[in-house]
Amino acid sequence: MANVLEAQNISVQFGGLLAVNNVTFDIPKKSIVSLIGPNGAGKTTFFNVLTGLYKPSAGKIVYGGKEITDLPPHKIAEIGIARTFQNIRLFGLMTAQENLLVAMHSHLKAGITATILRTPKQRKEEREAEAKAQEILDFAGVGKWTHEFARNLSYGDQRRLEVARALALNPKVLLLDEPTAGMNAQESQVFIDFINKLVAERDIAVMLIEHDMKVVMAVSQRITVLDQGEKIAEGSPAEIKSNPRVIEAYLGKPKAARK
Amino acid sequence: MNEGNGVTLAKAVEAKKFSGTPGQIRQQRIERVGAIVFSALFAVWMLVNLFAAPEQFAQVAISGLRNGLIYALIALGYTLVYGIIELINFAHGDLFMLSAIFSSFFITYWMGAEESNSYGWFAFGLCLIAVMVFGAVVNVLIERLAYRRLRHAPRLAPLITAVGMSFLLNFVGLKWNGSTPRQWPTVIPSGDINIGDVRISMITIWLFLVGFPLLLALNYLVTNTKQGKAMRATSQDRDASTLMGINVNKTIAFTFALGGAMAGAAGLLYQQSIGTTSYNLGFQLGLIAFTSAVLGGIGNLWGAVVGGLLIGLIQGLNDGLPYAFGQAWSQSVVFTILIIILVFKPAGLLGKAVTEKV
Amino acid sequence: MAKASVANNVTRSNRKWIIGYSITGFILFITYQFLIPWEGLPLGIYDAVYRWMPPTAINESLVYVIMALGLNIVVGYAGLLDLGYVAFWAIGGYTAGWFMSEFFYFLNINFFGSVPAEAPGIHINFWMVLIIGGFICALFGVLIGAPTLRLKSDYLALVTLGFGEIIPQVFFNGENFFGFNISNGTKGIVGVDSIPVGVKDLGPFDFGWKLLIFLLLAAVMVFVSLRLRKGRLGRAWLAIREDELAASMMGVPLMRTKLAAYAVGAFAGGLGGVAFATHVNGVYAERFNFTISIFLLAMVVLGGMGNVWGVILGAFILSWVNGNGLSAFGQLYNEQFGTEVDFASFTFLLFGLVLILMMLFKREGLLPESRLKLMLHEGELDDEDASASKKKVGK
Repeated sequence: MANVLEAQNISVQFGGLLAVNNVTFDIPKKSIVSLIGPNGAGKTTFFNVLTGLYKPSAGKIVYGGKEITDLPPHKIAEIGIARTFQNIRLFGLMTAQENLLVAMHSHLKAGITATILRTPKQRKEEREAEAKAQEILDFAGVGKWTHEFARNLSYGDQRRLEVARALALNPKVLLLDEPTAGMNAQESQVFIDFINKLVAERDIAVMLIEHDMKVVMAVSQRITVLDQGEKIAEGSPAEIKSNPRVIEAYLGKPKAARK
Repeated sequence: MNEGNGVTLAKAVEAKKFSGTPGQIRQQRIERVGAIVFSALFAVWMLVNLFAAPEQFAQVAISGLRNGLIYALIALGYTLVYGIIELINFAHGDLFMLSAIFSSFFITYWMGAEESNSYGWFAFGLCLIAVMVFGAVVNVLIERLAYRRLRHAPRLAPLITAVGMSFLLNFVGLKWNGSTPRQWPTVIPSGDINIGDVRISMITIWLFLVGFPLLLALNYLVTNTKQGKAMRATSQDRDASTLMGINVNKTIAFTFALGGAMAGAAGLLYQQSIGTTSYNLGFQLGLIAFTSAVLGGIGNLWGAVVGGLLIGLIQGLNDGLPYAFGQAWSQSVVFTILIIILVFKPAGLLGKAVTEKV
Repeated sequence: MAKASVANNVTRSNRKWIIGYSITGFILFITYQFLIPWEGLPLGIYDAVYRWMPPTAINESLVYVIMALGLNIVVGYAGLLDLGYVAFWAIGGYTAGWFMSEFFYFLNINFFGSVPAEAPGIHINFWMVLIIGGFICALFGVLIGAPTLRLKSDYLALVTLGFGEIIPQVFFNGENFFGFNISNGTKGIVGVDSIPVGVKDLGPFDFGWKLLIFLLLAAVMVFVSLRLRKGRLGRAWLAIREDELAASMMGVPLMRTKLAAYAVGAFAGGLGGVAFATHVNGVYAERFNFTISIFLLAMVVLGGMGNVWGVILGAFILSWVNGNGLSAFGQLYNEQFGTEVDFASFTFLLFGLVLILMMLFKREGLLPESRLKLMLHEGELDDEDASASKKKVGK
């Protein structure tokens, strides 16, 4: 059971506030794992540490056997850890295709001179990148919007485009931050199928932060629960569903115990 | 909470001295080394000059501090406005320039006060009130006409507008004052006090006598009055303030008024102490004053004061001491300081580094 | 129903502008090289041209165009508010002063220079100095950009402004810079070599040819801008301009990309500086001041940040108005109404108003880059389009 990404003893402190407290979290290869917890549990903070946006006050991140805690965010993206954002952060003024091409930036090679002179090598590289982008757009279900400004897409299509853009990084790990926010039951089901298809067809692991319990239960192989910055439970969906600490975290102590 | 929480918390807090991943620690080390190196260089420079020419040192330091007081007053305007709407009001220095010209016309032309007598001092007092009102009104107008509409626009827009406004005010100054600098008599008594070999002129004393109460008054206004509290709330969280019933527009206008009044006072003090007005005064002093605000910690009022005095001191030392770059490099020295601070310690001396939550 | 392809639209409109530019340039060249000097030209026309559009003014405007195109890359493409661009202009100018004059009189280096071999000083061929100047400026672009990389836009503006003050001051005091004379200080470097074009050297009155050369230099910057814009660097710049954080999380290396913007943008300053030195036949320190940086910014803002054609128009218009138009108009006005208004002094008012009014009312510029229009305003999605697109998806 190889882990593609490991977070070991991560703590994150903002001034006097300990947002994440000694959390260890692994993502096994080709798995689908979820991170859940009540609001303010530290999920997004932890998520941001995984993608290099925050540097932890303690602990380390290991990817493919190497420690990557110190890497800048763009390097982390380059080596194959991709993410989407809770509030969509597409490049609205760029077309869908351009959004993906930006994500391919670190994998393209053309330099300034080659670009200015439009060498055959550069042109070929661009053509191939565009073809690959189209393939990913089609896979994600937004293939018809290739040349449309991202800003003009519908909400659902924008979410799909964000995932497509993350996929353009050719990642080994895909980190999704509340991907089904704002989706109805039907759209969520489409999304669940998409995730399953993704992991089945590619060598990729997916991690989600989610609030929609139906989605979490349906798609996850393993669920981790954070509360007040600490990991309080981890296991299969069935185990988590019946875990009393988890229930307490979300709903509070049962009436009898409160007296 | 349970024990586990407390123990790990303590551990994390303890590690705060040099906390974080190796990368973070490296960055903090750089900052600390930079702070030590620059402070050491500065101290060495001061000591060398102090021992080489002690009276000159004291003399130059005092005149530097005097300029620093004027910088501080202008810097307050920058820091107040930046603190509340995160805008660098490029036009602020030019407001100072216009205030100096206003003073010249009010006190010298209109009131004809050219000598140091009781009429002159009365005129000074009257002009002080008038010019502060002038500064406040103009600043509020500028905010109302140009900046308010752009409050929610992307950062670039209000910045560019401020630059344009600076040019506009420059034009007004050009037309009002003419293209060549003008000299003005002063009502401040002449003469000096001697402490040992060091001369402290009456002008210096006068400036501090006028300036310090102003600073104290401003501090009182900001910390103890309702409007001041509204200002501080708005600068921390505009939306929350609205929800608390604070009239944000009025509060921002009030802030601009305060900043403008300080610039006005600085204008009068400049016109009466240095005695010249020119249309490009604003640009030169504006940038120096802004550097002061940044040095002290932008958004922090006492930071503006400390920064102003410090920059004035450094500039005075640089211009007048044997082991220094000299007046020809005055601007470059100040700008270099600005760049160094922004790169190494953007929070400034008294500011707090804010860790932004994404 | 055929979808409008944004990319194709842009390519088509670029082509139109390229043709327009070339034709206008050609007409200008013919006019100033052949038509104006023609003895048969009616005196009235000759006077009118020299009053309203003297060749010196056009050439100077073209220098501004070149530099505005450079600033357009930094501010327009990458969104970095550079308020100190004049520093590059100065460095470019002094590069010409060092390598194309008798400044280093104690040396004797001649590399395809346009003066006799024995002439004292360094005399390198103009075309090579252009490239040298460009690259030296690019280097300084990196040096100046480096401290700004982690800063927010306002602080970034200030640091660049600081450099925009320091570097000209260095040249201003350059007569004694730690013991070395690097610029002749306020006296300036007088006398810059002429431009060799094959059989002859261009003299001070070869306006037409110089005009052609300056047009060519501007065309080079346009070419570079458009090509880079299409490639991955241009996309990276636009991404940074719009959302720096998201860009970095998608693999765009922020520092390298920003430095590239500074470097390429500064290169244009080098070209412009060398060109200007040959235009005024010297390098004069007082010329380089902060106001120039703001002029350039106004030109980019007026034209439309990111749109090379808009920037060309904006630069040409504003520099013409500032250099020649205001005084010519003033002359006309005063003659008509017997007044003595000094119109030239209204420069500050003009540029200040341009910046303010553009930001308040037409932020995207005269020729907006289509996407910029969307970004700088609350996006108004056409309701018709929105419902139409929903129908297509089958919702």
